[in-house]
Amino acid sequence: MAGQERRIDDTALIREAQQGNRAAFEELVRYYDQSVLRLALHLTGSEHEAQDIYQDAFLKAYKNIGNFRFECSFYTWIYRIVTNLCLDQIRRKQVRKEDAPVAKDKSGEEFSLLDQVADGRSGADPERDLMRRELGKRIGNALEKLTARERMVFELKHYHGLKLRTVGEILQTTEETAKNTLFRATQKLRVALVDMR
Amino acid sequence: MKCEWVKENITLYVYDELADDARYELDQHVARCADCAAELKLAREFRSLLLETPAAEPNANLLASSRMKLQEALETAEQGGFWRRLAFDPARWLHQVKFSPALASVILLAGFAGGVGATYSALSGAKLAPAATSSTPAEASIAGIRSISQEPGSDHVSIKYDTVSTQEAQGSLNEAKIQQLLLFAARNNYNSGVRMDSVNLLTQKPNDAQVREALIYALRYDSNPGVRVKSLDALGNYVKDDVSVRDAVLQALVNDSNQGIRTEALRLLEPVKADSSVRAVLMTLAAKDQSEYIRKQSRSLLAQSTEMD
Repeated sequence: MAGQERRIDDTALIREAQQGNRAAFEELVRYYDQSVLRLALHLTGSEHEAQDIYQDAFLKAYKNIGNFRFECSFYTWIYRIVTNLCLDQIRRKQVRKEDAPVAKDKSGEEFSLLDQVADGRSGADPERDLMRRELGKRIGNALEKLTARERMVFELKHYHGLKLRTVGEILQTTEETAKNTLFRATQKLRVALVDMR
Repeated sequence: MKCEWVKENITLYVYDELADDARYELDQHVARCADCAAELKLAREFRSLLLETPAAEPNANLLASSRMKLQEALETAEQGGFWRRLAFDPARWLHQVKFSPALASVILLAGFAGGVGATYSALSGAKLAPAATSSTPAEASIAGIRSISQEPGSDHVSIKYDTVSTQEAQGSLNEAKIQQLLLFAARNNYNSGVRMDSVNLLTQKPNDAQVREALIYALRYDSNPGVRVKSLDALGNYVKDDVSVRDAVLQALVNDSNQGIRTEALRLLEPVKADSSVRAVLMTLAAKDQSEYIRKQSRSLLAQSTEMD
């Protein structure tokens, strides 16, 4: 999305939404909601939880859009809301010491979300698929060992490709802190996955 | 010493976060230092490894259902300026309609307001209690707007409105109290969605004389075509047995502003096409009606009944 163009569109929509125009708000939602859902799903590993976070985030945004003063981009603002909700969720789960991300499918069977990695190349090489699933599990476990913040910084950098400066803005910290956090996160992950090549 | 700096910054390098000058320096160092070159290789491999194993992505289903739930939630979310909630939002209606193909037959009739929204929730399995509460809490407590006045020369507006305290009655369709409320709602409620819901429930019991009366009333006088069509469909089966039903359907055929309803009424009169009053109407329509379809159909019905004589 052309950055400058996106910004200009947002401004008009945001002003409309601030006036109570729900259709304008819904249009804003549609530009960002896929990324938001993706973020929530990666971090919680649960479709159900991801959906809850999605609801909470956008409802919060809707209720508070009157307070948005354009001091940052809408993108940053909405991401801030979502990351805070995700951080809370991660911390809650850490306290309960849950295992690697699991979800329940239609028959009530638990399965690891990482097992469901859709891959166009799968099927052709079962051994490779098995390795990939194993790796997925290992990565999932390794991510669990990170602190909530380390996990978040890594997720935003690695899976969303955001610049650490943006990550800092979103998490309301400095770029320097974000850099250090990324460093720690990758170190921990490398240690956890040291025997996988 | 330089190696230490390199090791600290290799992650940033691999994620393309180093400033240009720092990146250049790292490149230079790695070209001359085997240790750091190995370290760089490891860091790159690690990143590739993770990229090879992407995390689960949300499927279209999850996204669609999340959007729908959000839309529903937004309806009751307060943002300020509650009186805007009362206004009909065509964009939102279109959205709901896209999600419910079951409403396709109803869509044929133009001029819907809140009725479609209520029908949609009825189809998706809303509870069978009479719909005393409408779409937003604020709306439910407003009995009616008494007056709206604007101070001349300013944007200050004063609105007088009556509120009611909301109560709830629960029970089966057979209970007298429930039926009473449904009949009242069908006739009186200002919100067409609520009228629609109650007519919907009443159509399940068209045997009852009182219910039939309410349905006839709705067919004759309700301003919302969706409500009228629901009543019409329920009454259709009684056209032969009940003269008042037949007359009401005839009236709808002649007077209703909605083409879809007129067409449907014509179709429902088929069993009684031989009746003299019906024939009289059909003859007028065959000759003078604006709609070609109505003219043709009337002629065809008339032709069929002469053959039977």
